[in-house]
Amino acid sequence: MSDPRYDRLAELVLDHSLRLRPGEVLRIDAAVVASPLVLPLHREAIKRGAHAYAALDLDGLKELLVEHGSDEQLEFVSPIELREMDAIDASITIWSEENTRSFSRVDTERRQRQLAAQRQVAIRRRDRIARGEHRWCGTLSPTEGHAQDADMSLREYEDFVFRACHVLDDDPVGHWRRVGEVLQARAEELGSVRELRILGEDTDLTVVVDGRTWRAAHGRQNVPDGEVYTSPVESGVNGTIRFGLPAVFNGGEIDDPRLRFEDGRVVAAEAAGGEAYLQSLLRLDEGASGVGEIAFGLNYEIDRFTRNILFDEKLGGTLHLALGMGFQDLGGLNRSALHLDLICDLRREGEVYADGELVWRNGSFLQDPQPARPVERVR
Amino acid sequence: MADVVVGFCADVREGDLVTLESTALAAPMLKALYRRVLEAGAQPLVRISLEGMTESLLEYGNDEQLGWVNPAREDDIETVDVRIALLAPGNTRRLSNVDPARQARADRSNERLRNRYLERAAAGELRWVLTAYPTEASAQDASMSLAQYEDFVYGSAFLDDPDPVARWHEFGERLDRVAAFLATKRELRVVAEGTDLRVVTEDRTWIPSKGRENFPDGEVFTGPVETGVEGEIRFTYPGVFNAREVDDVRLRFEAGEVVEATAARGQEFLREMIAMDEGAKRVGEFAFGLNDGVQMFTRNTLFDEKIGGTIHLALGTAYPETGGLNRSALHWDLICDLRSGGEVFADGELVYRDGKFLNGVG
Repeated sequence: MSDPRYDRLAELVLDHSLRLRPGEVLRIDAAVVASPLVLPLHREAIKRGAHAYAALDLDGLKELLVEHGSDEQLEFVSPIELREMDAIDASITIWSEENTRSFSRVDTERRQRQLAAQRQVAIRRRDRIARGEHRWCGTLSPTEGHAQDADMSLREYEDFVFRACHVLDDDPVGHWRRVGEVLQARAEELGSVRELRILGEDTDLTVVVDGRTWRAAHGRQNVPDGEVYTSPVESGVNGTIRFGLPAVFNGGEIDDPRLRFEDGRVVAAEAAGGEAYLQSLLRLDEGASGVGEIAFGLNYEIDRFTRNILFDEKLGGTLHLALGMGFQDLGGLNRSALHLDLICDLRREGEVYADGELVWRNGSFLQDPQPARPVERVR
Repeated sequence: MADVVVGFCADVREGDLVTLESTALAAPMLKALYRRVLEAGAQPLVRISLEGMTESLLEYGNDEQLGWVNPAREDDIETVDVRIALLAPGNTRRLSNVDPARQARADRSNERLRNRYLERAAAGELRWVLTAYPTEASAQDASMSLAQYEDFVYGSAFLDDPDPVARWHEFGERLDRVAAFLATKRELRVVAEGTDLRVVTEDRTWIPSKGRENFPDGEVFTGPVETGVEGEIRFTYPGVFNAREVDDVRLRFEAGEVVEATAARGQEFLREMIAMDEGAKRVGEFAFGLNDGVQMFTRNTLFDEKIGGTIHLALGTAYPETGGLNRSALHWDLICDLRSGGEVFADGELVYRDGKFLNGVG
């Protein structure tokens, strides 16, 4: 009856991402449509001696709230949920939706207000994560809605997701440990780079990363994972970039965006589709036209665009840039309510120079990173 | 149904914090309730459960895990103004093969939660409604098709009436009369086949249940004097608890305590439940079922205990508002059909026969 791949994904998240221990309190956040993953996560967490429970949402309720709620209802933050955050040792967010476009036709301003209220709970959790009091991982349980966005059948999409998560490997935890070693070595190497130059179709961009810390993402906070990222120097982005792949944000889509930067700020923005939406996002606040992230996607099991940022930003052979919020702990100073990931496909023609030296061509680094340090040191 | 539940039963008001609790199977009704609660100016919070999670806990959990109470759910009970819970099972027998001792341990861990919520309800700080959303599993238990079962559920709640709320008010007046009548009595004696039971109810409060806390509704109940139950009773319908069924239950009471418990089937489970804790062998509730829209036994206590012409008693915890003092992790309703030949005497006088109160009481 149950697909063993869901069980294996659950085990990977509990044992590698969260390293769940007996007696810990685990909350699983998901919509009901993610039940095929919620149930094995809960069962395996119980087997590991944890106090596990699920906070389940029903697709369609938030939509009702945004459409029919009063201002007060829209902005309501449950005091119970805020207090709850303090009692949880670990949590899992399953981002699965039944319908990924259900907010397309609601009032964006009302939706933003409802999201802002929700963010208060997320901020409470983020602060606990930063203090080392909470461990968190985000993942996905395949649904028809996500398969539809990826132009696949559900069965094909399941294959895609589980391949990307490497749960079919003999030893998924071992796989992600090794990925961690390689990516950590890569991150350390990039840590000594002062400036990157990216060349591609309609793209010639320099990005100063001097003094910034690169982080390896290897299945702790996202499953699947596979990227190295940092926040570039805020004034150090210059030139033009064409992203090629659509950007999907809060249910809206921007097709083939092109940006021109001067001293770290977007000075020109156009898109083949959704240009007005792009412009409105850039105007969201002061930091929205600055850069918060630059990253290399290095999960080569993810070989196609699927309109889901959890996968798309890890697409092997791509680079992404995020407008908006930067990573404070990596040295990033840009602040914004926005974090819009834009993906630049470097697989066909693309070169990256690090301080003048060619390090990447056509979708991969030219050399393996220096021998890795033990994975235990990776955080 | 959502209109009546939110507007009439729960009487949701502006600013209320309202939990909506059910399984994912009740999604259509949960959405309807969610919207009504928003329209009432209140704040809905959903608490959705998935069948399968309890099974995992009972199968794999250690004692510590079985005894764990989620502080967030405790917080719910301390904080919210209204709880609306919908029964919507996917499989009513899914816990059939669970070790009853482990089940009892898990039940005990929830006892404090339950008692606290009954306490807040009795103090008027929390309003609650238990209702049902028709599912295939409940239809199967009732030996009906889903369509027939839907008719049964909505019919028993008068939702086929043009003005259900008016019907509930009218029915409520009848229940008030029964409660007022019983309040004047000190002791009841129930006589039926295999049954001769005396129940002391003096100084206890009889509560007419008129569609507020249960929906559908239609009973008048009290918490009898803890030491005042004597004699024997044979229950007509199987006792259903935690998805287990016990057939032909017979109990003998002395000074309020069960001293003998037998069953044609499931006797061991019956005895395990009675041994769960000190309060499980005493009676927490005694009640008359008075809803004539419920005629059939459907293996769901919410409906069965309301069958017009029955009485039920519950082993275990009492409702504090009745004055009942018994406390337990158990609250198991057992039903005795009095429609053919049953009699009830109040302080020695025959007041009820063949499922009806005499002399126009109710």
